[in-house]
Amino acid sequence: MSLSNLSHVISHLNNVTKARLGLTSIPNTKLHLKLCLALQNDGFISTVVRGGPTPPAPHELLGHPSSQDIEPVTQANVATRRLWLGLKYWRSEPVLGKMKMISTPKRRVTAKLPDLRRVVQGHNTPYLEGLRSPGESLYISTDKGIMEARECVEKKSGGLVLCRIK
Amino acid sequence: MSFTRPARCMLCNFTRAASAAPRVPRRQFHPSPFRLNDQKPTDSAVPVAAETPKTNKEAVVKQRLQEITRNMKPESLRPYTEEELAQLREVYSAAQMAAIEAGEATIDPKDFAEQFAVRTDPMRLKYLDDFSHVEPGVDKHVRASESHADPNQKLKNTEDFMQDFSKYIQEMPRDMDSAHFVRWAETTRLTKGKEEAERSPHTSLAPDFFQEGDKLRVPEDEGKEGLVRDENVHRPAISLEGISPPLAQLIQSTGLSQDYIKNLFTKSLVFHSVTNQTRLGKVQRFYCLAVAGNRDGLLGLGEAKSFEAADAIEQAKYRAIRNMRPILRYEQRTIYGDVTAKVGAMDLKLMTRPPGFGLRCQSLIYEMCIAAGISDIAARVNRSRNKMNTVKAAYEALLAQRNPEDVARARGKKMVDVRKVYYSGRVF
Repeated sequence: MSLSNLSHVISHLNNVTKARLGLTSIPNTKLHLKLCLALQNDGFISTVVRGGPTPPAPHELLGHPSSQDIEPVTQANVATRRLWLGLKYWRSEPVLGKMKMISTPKRRVTAKLPDLRRVVQGHNTPYLEGLRSPGESLYISTDKGIMEARECVEKKSGGLVLCRIK
Repeated sequence: MSFTRPARCMLCNFTRAASAAPRVPRRQFHPSPFRLNDQKPTDSAVPVAAETPKTNKEAVVKQRLQEITRNMKPESLRPYTEEELAQLREVYSAAQMAAIEAGEATIDPKDFAEQFAVRTDPMRLKYLDDFSHVEPGVDKHVRASESHADPNQKLKNTEDFMQDFSKYIQEMPRDMDSAHFVRWAETTRLTKGKEEAERSPHTSLAPDFFQEGDKLRVPEDEGKEGLVRDENVHRPAISLEGISPPLAQLIQSTGLSQDYIKNLFTKSLVFHSVTNQTRLGKVQRFYCLAVAGNRDGLLGLGEAKSFEAADAIEQAKYRAIRNMRPILRYEQRTIYGDVTAKVGAMDLKLMTRPPGFGLRCQSLIYEMCIAAGISDIAARVNRSRNKMNTVKAAYEALLAQRNPEDVARARGKKMVDVRKVYYSGRVF
């Protein structure tokens, strides 16, 4: 789990949404993929498609790509694989707001369940501010996968706090 | 204005310069002076016939057409010969031929010559157009008529109904049932003329539009007769005489009534003198920053400068009223989430708080919250604490709130306020 690569991805996404781009790519890792799928599940991004250095075909981005369309990862092409993300905008504002790393490579922040519960209720804890603004999200890497903080509370698991979206 | 130009140009910009040489001295690429476009060529003595030895058929046709249209006379129009009519009959049907002949008979050759000739008068049009279709960029909009009324509307007589009925019988399907007849009888029109004049006519019970100042009935209007007037709207019938000119202008531009403006919360928050250093000396004026609000979700800021202190305050308040904008309020008491704003070196944060918390913030933000009708808030002002920028940043922060409904629509997710669910919506 490379948090420095993740922080690069997060600052890249911040730059991309400021530039109002519709499609971007990030390096393909398991951590990035899981986080992107969690973001897609919450409606922050529209598509997550694995592809090569060039963007995938439009039907793969828009529809449901079948396994024939997506090139499987092999030892020969694993280094060139990238995740292509479709970004969303609503009323000319990016849906994916300002992202911020919570854990850093130098200081990893973990949250146990009681802390997370307080954070979700909107209270501050020593290392985490409460989720008070509408639509604010916190992503946590747990042993059950990368989840949003509210889902973590529902599933009763804490973990490493990755990033926050305002 | 440039003094390098001759004096006659100061009087009229459209007059041509005295000489064809450029006014601004610049390098000439050719020894002969350049010619302006609208000058007639001096070598126009070349005969026209010399230019048209083109044997091209198209050019000949074009020239003939131009000749005809330029010197069109009623004598040059002649009726169709029998041969030409025979040729036309091969192409057109009998009905079309009848129409052509009727058209020929109807149009006076004199009119035709006048209409068909190319105009040479100074009022002629600069372009060719058939005017048969509306061009959106050029022509005025064709708007839908304001009312459905048709002056040519007439009741159908017995013959018309007989025609309708015979048409129905002819077009009747084979497996016809009684419902088909009932449908026909219900949809058959009783009048001639525009269809919408019969289908949705104007009635005095449901007038087409609200008059100015009318509003929909709300539960508080129980027992009132007729149309309900909106008391907040200024009625043009009431004269503005005797009111100070700035206020009269405000009433005219906003359409708010004088009572409504009087009941608004206005307050001057920042007031100081400002000085402009000119070469003539210091020019001192008074600056005022005021807020206005209706204590129910509207808030505006206004700035004004004036030589008179009272003028500056009055003008700032009126500008604040003019700038009033709706502020999002959660449960009509606090804001949606924590919002930050940055103006200059100000870094300001407004925080949502539970019911009964009160306004625990500094005085300027307190006044703004009172004006907007916010009763629970906390604020933190970091870095600079400039008064003017504090007010501006707080206004920006209040406007920067995100509506949860917008967030939900943007993400395509359903969001529910659980407070409203738990207390069956009775939270305030």
